[in-house]
Amino acid sequence: MATNILICDDSSFARKQMARAIPTGWDVEVHFATDGVEGVQAIREGRGEVVFLDLTMPNMDGYGVLETIRKEDLPAMVIVVSGDIQPDAQERVMGLGAMAFVKKPIDAAKAEAVLTEYGIMTRA
Amino acid sequence: MTTPPIVTLSDDQRDCYQELTNVAMGQAADRLARLLDSYVVLPIPKVNLIEISDLRMAIEGAQEEDAVSAVCQGFIGSGIAGEALMLFNDTSFTDLARLTNYPGELTHQAQLEILMDVSSLLIGACIQGIGEQLEIHFNQGHPVVLGQHCNVNDILNVSNQKWRRTLAIEIHYTMEAVNVDCDLLLLFTEDSVLRLNHVIDFLLD
Amino acid sequence: MTNPNIDLGDIHWLMDILQNIDVGLVVLDKEYNIQLWNGFMDSHSGISPQNAKGENLFTLFPDIPEAWFRKKAEPVFQLKTRTFTIWEQRPYLFHFKNYRPITGRATFMYQNTAIIPLESIDRQIHHICVIIYDVTDAALGKEEAHKLGVEINKLTRVDPETGLMTTDAWHEEISRELARVHRSEMPSCIALLDHSQLAIDADALKKAYALLARSLRQTDLACVPQSGQVAVLLPASDEGDVRFFAERIRKTIGRQIPEFRNHTRIGIARALDTFNNANEWLQAVDAACTAAANTDDHLQIHTPDS
Repeated sequence: MATNILICDDSSFARKQMARAIPTGWDVEVHFATDGVEGVQAIREGRGEVVFLDLTMPNMDGYGVLETIRKEDLPAMVIVVSGDIQPDAQERVMGLGAMAFVKKPIDAAKAEAVLTEYGIMTRA
Repeated sequence: MTTPPIVTLSDDQRDCYQELTNVAMGQAADRLARLLDSYVVLPIPKVNLIEISDLRMAIEGAQEEDAVSAVCQGFIGSGIAGEALMLFNDTSFTDLARLTNYPGELTHQAQLEILMDVSSLLIGACIQGIGEQLEIHFNQGHPVVLGQHCNVNDILNVSNQKWRRTLAIEIHYTMEAVNVDCDLLLLFTEDSVLRLNHVIDFLLD
Repeated sequence: MTNPNIDLGDIHWLMDILQNIDVGLVVLDKEYNIQLWNGFMDSHSGISPQNAKGENLFTLFPDIPEAWFRKKAEPVFQLKTRTFTIWEQRPYLFHFKNYRPITGRATFMYQNTAIIPLESIDRQIHHICVIIYDVTDAALGKEEAHKLGVEINKLTRVDPETGLMTTDAWHEEISRELARVHRSEMPSCIALLDHSQLAIDADALKKAYALLARSLRQTDLACVPQSGQVAVLLPASDEGDVRFFAERIRKTIGRQIPEFRNHTRIGIARALDTFNNANEWLQAVDAACTAAANTDDHLQIHTPDS
């Protein structure tokens, strides 16, 4: 069965870049959210088994999404893809239960590396 | 001489500039945070076409008498040219001096050193960060400090560019726990914007 | 980074360029030992590349402030960022003679420097390159222009009649001073000396102004706001300091013009946070000066409630 992937970023350019970085040959269905509120909604509806999450977003930021996932115990594996790469930010998201932290800009090699490392990607 | 076509900016292009800047300024903030050992608050960068009068106001605002409060630095690469302008609005040099471990009295000279250190870092990281994503190697000129003996009109009028409006990327940095508040403005020449837009369109494709 | 311009066979060209280019190039390793020293550095320092190579920068040039230079260079190693120094910070990194030893006005070479990271094959930064630019001409030009600016400024701010500041310039200064007082704790006062009831001839008055100008500190600014009055702005002084100053002035001028001593009224007003503009400050000192007519020593200090 196809894995539901959610790309949550306020920038359409970043969403496009992320979508392009998803390894080919992996059986997935890709969904998009443009801010944290939409993102949480999508996860609740089961469209975010794997989430690529940006941190700086309007309405609800990435930290808010992570907090909500934890509070509601939502089934989502979150990979934070962020431009804010300060040590404090990395520590904070890992503390909030993110699985991995990837520095922007994302590309196919980086995406494949992190997905393989955490055993998330299953070839169809 | 032909007049260059009017600079325009579509929503997609604006979004793309914003994202590229976001990544670059994240790298810059990371360096600053390591230098100062303090978390830098990252805002969403503003991407706009601005008129020369807006720029004049921004610079005038940063020119408090006697204070050294602005640094500009030119950059150029692959025919794309611009200037970075670092404006220290409401920045406590006492805080910065403490964070950067500048010993002794906070003289005019010491302020100049701190200004150069911080702006070097932020401007350099931002320009390089944007350049890397666009695959453009930007060369940087030497920074110029705009201080008490520099008049705004001298800066803006002497340059013979008859530009009216151009692309400006504005990043507002603040820091947690210390009184540091500064703006980094990246300004491109009108003809550069056309080239840049072309590169961006390629990325958006 | 690969560069399509460079073939291995062309290395000797590059070496020639390196030797002859008119900027200084110094490559340093992490211990600040010199790894490359080009012709420019050789010529200006008198130290040959053979003698420079492997030497520690700070040992070879003990006058380079080590802590300062490390502060500029460390981020290049650690953060892969470029840093710059400009002559306004420090006129030079290396103390070299001016390129034009005979006709040049400077005794040394002004320098800007750029410090750039050099990436090794493992993508780590083990070396940095310091590029030294001779900016003597630009620096001298700018200093000259600055000096002229100061001179012109002085000329337009001095009233040739009195030798004191023009009233316009003085008003600008007190507005600025009031703004400064609002930002800081430092007190600041204006003293107003009124001798309008005395008939003093123009020559004597000119002498009196000259005496006054000589007894001012560098930061004190005096002008003649209207005929028969002298106003002095005294930054960083409280009422006590200013009273002392004003009495002394009255005495000094009194030696030349005896009636000045007994018939000059003095008003003093300190800049208060409650003043919205410079005019309110001037009104306060004016009121104090008028009230001084009724005091024994003809001196009145403005109090907020009076």
